[in-house]
Amino acid sequence: MLFGDVDFSALILPDSAQALRAEVRAFLAGELASARIMPHLGHAQFDREFSRRIGSRGWIGMTWPKRYGGRERSYLERFVVTEEMLAVSAPCAAHWFGDRQCGPSLLRYGSEAQKARFLPAIARGESPFALGMSEPNSGSDLASVRTRADKVEGGWRVSGQKVWTSWAHVAEHFFCLCRTCADAGDRHLGLSQLIVDLRAPGVTIRPIRFMSGAHHFNEVFLDNVFVPDDMVLGEIGAGWRQVTSELALERSGPERFMTTFPLFVELVRRLGASTERRARQAIGQLSARMYALRRMSLAIAFEFSRALSDSAMRDLGTEASLVKDLGTFFERDITEAARLLVDVEPCPDAGDTFERYLAECIYTTPVGTIRGGTTQVLRTIIARKLTGAAAA
Amino acid sequence: MNEDQDIRTLLADSARRVFADHCSQEAVEAAKKSGWSSALWQVLERTQLTLVSIPEPLGGAGGTVADFAAVLRIAGRYSAPVPLAETGLLAGWLLAASGQAVPAGPLSAAPAQPAEALTLSRSAGAWRLAGTARRVPWARVATRLVALARYQATDWVVSVDPRRCVITPGSNLAWEPRDEVRFDAIALGDDEVVPAGAGVDLDRLYLRGALARAIAMAGALDRALELALTHAKTRVQFGRAIAKFQAVQQELARFAGEVAAAAAAALSAAGAVERGEGEFAVACAKVRAGEAASTGAAIAHQIHAAIGVTEEFALHHSTLRLQAWRAEYGSETYWGERLGEQVLAAGAERLWPRLTE
Ligand SMILES: Cc1cc2nc3c(=O)[nH]c(=O)nc-3n(C[C@H](O)[C@H](O)[C@H](O)COP(=O)(O)OP(=O)(O)OC[C@H]3O[C@@H](n4cnc5c(N)ncnc54)[C@H](O)[C@@H]3O)c2cc1C
Repeated sequence: MLFGDVDFSALILPDSAQALRAEVRAFLAGELASARIMPHLGHAQFDREFSRRIGSRGWIGMTWPKRYGGRERSYLERFVVTEEMLAVSAPCAAHWFGDRQCGPSLLRYGSEAQKARFLPAIARGESPFALGMSEPNSGSDLASVRTRADKVEGGWRVSGQKVWTSWAHVAEHFFCLCRTCADAGDRHLGLSQLIVDLRAPGVTIRPIRFMSGAHHFNEVFLDNVFVPDDMVLGEIGAGWRQVTSELALERSGPERFMTTFPLFVELVRRLGASTERRARQAIGQLSARMYALRRMSLAIAFEFSRALSDSAMRDLGTEASLVKDLGTFFERDITEAARLLVDVEPCPDAGDTFERYLAECIYTTPVGTIRGGTTQVLRTIIARKLTGAAAA
Repeated sequence: MNEDQDIRTLLADSARRVFADHCSQEAVEAAKKSGWSSALWQVLERTQLTLVSIPEPLGGAGGTVADFAAVLRIAGRYSAPVPLAETGLLAGWLLAASGQAVPAGPLSAAPAQPAEALTLSRSAGAWRLAGTARRVPWARVATRLVALARYQATDWVVSVDPRRCVITPGSNLAWEPRDEVRFDAIALGDDEVVPAGAGVDLDRLYLRGALARAIAMAGALDRALELALTHAKTRVQFGRAIAKFQAVQQELARFAGEVAAAAAAALSAAGAVERGEGEFAVACAKVRAGEAASTGAAIAHQIHAAIGVTEEFALHHSTLRLQAWRAEYGSETYWGERLGEQVLAAGAERLWPRLTE
């Protein structure tokens, strides 16, 4: 059973993590008070300067070895930093992909030269990465990607099209999932990951406007782009395994249930000491859901922190999918409760924080249950684990 | 895994064996009429599973609330027809926290409703207890009833022989005894009345009751999900196991999420109560487990379809308990409102710190 044997009563963050929390909280309060950052909900914002400040405090790549710019801190401490950032919707997009996905992949599969080049820069908050996975005809069925890399002298020539690539227009590199062997018997075996310089000749990036008018994702066209051999991540042909191995980390994190949390805080502020039963019940219900979700996410963080090596780590992909599935609906519940309890017309440029947050959350309501694995795909993964072979 | 968790694993293993042996479909059915299973109770006492979180000098096993929670979850999983939580977490706690040894035998605690109060008076050197407590769990099978009563504006813990009370049997949706107990100015000896210990009051008693039901719901949800999975894998329609249909899979996945969330909240709350910081966590647990009970029971029945609603099939033991326990010691409405009031009164700036304490 999923989470069936987790001893939730014993999950208590160590003092070191709580001390770090106080430090991060104080730092963020300062950032907000001095208006160095301005929170927007829904999509994490891209702010290179903020990422640098975070990097200089040692809060990016925290768990990595010191020789690669990391701090060798625990996974629980990383969890605390992440949730504090999310609690105020700090603009983390310039370092998050590197911190969460690209960095750990590099550590695991990268060459020594790649690690030495990229990891310290990511940890300083100076090397923004993007993820080039989705394509026009490959969404949930990611293994069907068609972007091709052909072997040439000293490297690879890449051609194809990526889509929905968040922040490709401001990032420096992206991890590009592509087909390196057109006729591998198993379509998963023909895939590889290349680290592509987004400013290389042949790369064209075109904005795709989000329905609010904002620009964060893009189309990325690759036309015969040269990628040297030393920018192949891990093994040629192992791309699928490499991509899926980081999903657990991505799906279980607080970023999957906290994107609308600041609206919850503003809702509490707006309702004040309301004596209305309906308001109290709704706030109580949201608090209870949040509490349970956070404890589940924390349980996965504890499991990561306990695993001494990658091989000792249990496969938590299904648990992570469960957290994301519940979490993305919880995010919606907050938005829905806010608009039903406070009867205002949502206005994206409202001066009032609650009203602006509400508008931003409404715009991004559909997104949570799509990006990083749709509801339907997640539930299929969960059900497969639950029912074993019967549903395979 | 630390030492505490080792102990809990051992406890859970032995509890699982005991309950599996004594909570067959027939045994649980039989308890609908008899009110409980004395055979199970005796084994639980012999294996020291009834007073897990009571200190050793007072007759218990000296474990933590979290240890006991591990056992209570399994009791919930097996629909165990015994007043286990009432004995070890409620009545036993009232006594032990007030410095009293906890006697052997099944116990229950009163009052079990939020707005009720029992009164104690003293005249001519004798104590008297008066009042009515409604829906007291298992009052009719208890060997002692432990009541929290008021005397001169303070709380007192009273241990009463139930034979001296007027007990009107009642039950919940799952036929578990929920009896009305009338205390008709019952005379009590000095050894039956003590001042309530520090931290013992009506609200804390109710809070513990809510914790007990949240944990039990986590267990009953475990069971309902197991049954649903087994059924989905074995029931064949249109030439294949119904687990192969995507619509069924989606419901199972949703169900698993609810079950995990209930366990996360309930067991986390047990840890918080142990550390003396339980109010917020228990409120969250009772609300979240109640929501999960509602969704989980509905999905379990939907997947079983007709067979699930029969008396001969075990599912209803779990789902009817879920529906009953949702309401006991405060529904989602009660705790949701209370929690919301608390969160709103504390204000926006306290919300995140409270969640991450
Ligand atoms: C805001 C945002 C940012 C994004 N950023 C990035 C990024 O930076 N990099 C990147 O690579 N991608 C990114 N994506 C893309 C994202 O990962 C995809 O949208 C997602 O994988 C789903 O693919 P799709 O949109 O093509 O939907 P499709 O896969 O076409 O799905 C359409 C519908 O069919 C359902 N469906 C599909 N397969 C199944 C199945 N097997 N069983 C049941 N139902 C099924 C889906 O649930 C959905 O309802 C982003 C998306 C969003 C919305």
